[in-house]
Amino acid sequence: MVDKNFESSGITVPNNHVSALYNQYAGMLLGYIFEVVKNMTVAEQYLIAVFKDVPYELGELTKPGSNVFCQLQIIARKKLAGFFDSVHNCEDGAERRPAIANTNNKYIGTMNSEQQLVFCGIYWHGKTISRLAIELDKTEDAVKKILKECFTTIRNSSR
Amino acid sequence: MIREYIDSGILEAYVIGAASEQEEKEVLRMKAKYPEVKEALLQLELDMEKVARHTAIIPPTGTWDKIEREINEITPRPEVKPAKFSRTFKPNNDKDNGFIEVGSTSTHMRIHKNWRWVFAAVFVLGKIFLGCAIYFYLENRQAQLQIKELKTEISHYQK
Repeated sequence: MVDKNFESSGITVPNNHVSALYNQYAGMLLGYIFEVVKNMTVAEQYLIAVFKDVPYELGELTKPGSNVFCQLQIIARKKLAGFFDSVHNCEDGAERRPAIANTNNKYIGTMNSEQQLVFCGIYWHGKTISRLAIELDKTEDAVKKILKECFTTIRNSSR
Repeated sequence: MIREYIDSGILEAYVIGAASEQEEKEVLRMKAKYPEVKEALLQLELDMEKVARHTAIIPPTGTWDKIEREINEITPRPEVKPAKFSRTFKPNNDKDNGFIEVGSTSTHMRIHKNWRWVFAAVFVLGKIFLGCAIYFYLENRQAQLQIKELKTEISHYQK
């Protein structure tokens, strides 16, 4: 295992720290990215891009009180921003179809169609609350309420 | 009031990555101020992990090797400190001063353009001297032959 000193940022980051995060979260992240891009080769490339940035974000990732997976997912979503934009552009002219990425998902399956549209639209299609509000012809507060219901459904179905 | 804030769905929007920059700042401020908000966020982050764990995929073999290689290729640039100004010039002979030493390893040398006239003159003079040497060698050989003939004739007459 090669140790790498990132002197410019003033921190010492051994590769085994990154390796530990990889072992714990790479599968979950790859699953998420794959649901977005629907291509394993592309998903792997995004995964590599995310973990390449981890040494620089290690301070933020290991900060007390922060959830490492959520932080990694934020990095992944930033990397996927270009992909989200291109998907939106493709959808603009086409007939709007439900933004349901994976109905086989245990948690998504228990949601109603409106909740699925909101949750999958944000989670896998990178849509903003305001965009969904326009698409569903609802207020932003109403979309947030539906999103809250989604999380309640997830919590209830895991009990 | 806090209950209303938690129930508004803004925390869910923050955790899923759909909150605006202003909302993110507000959530972080509320998280630091109210333990209820912190607890709610913690629970939501665990919910996100549950969904991600359900769609997890084992990364292809060799993905970590690619990541490790990418990380190791990032070479930190050493900080070069500028020399302090002083009235007396002191040449910096320190080998680790950030400059690449080329003189000792290169097999080529560079000289001033004026030297080409010197080299041309040396070349022309060399040719002239060579011509002279050949001419006088032949003249000398001819003279030696004539002397030899004259000696033979004289000895012939003496007999």
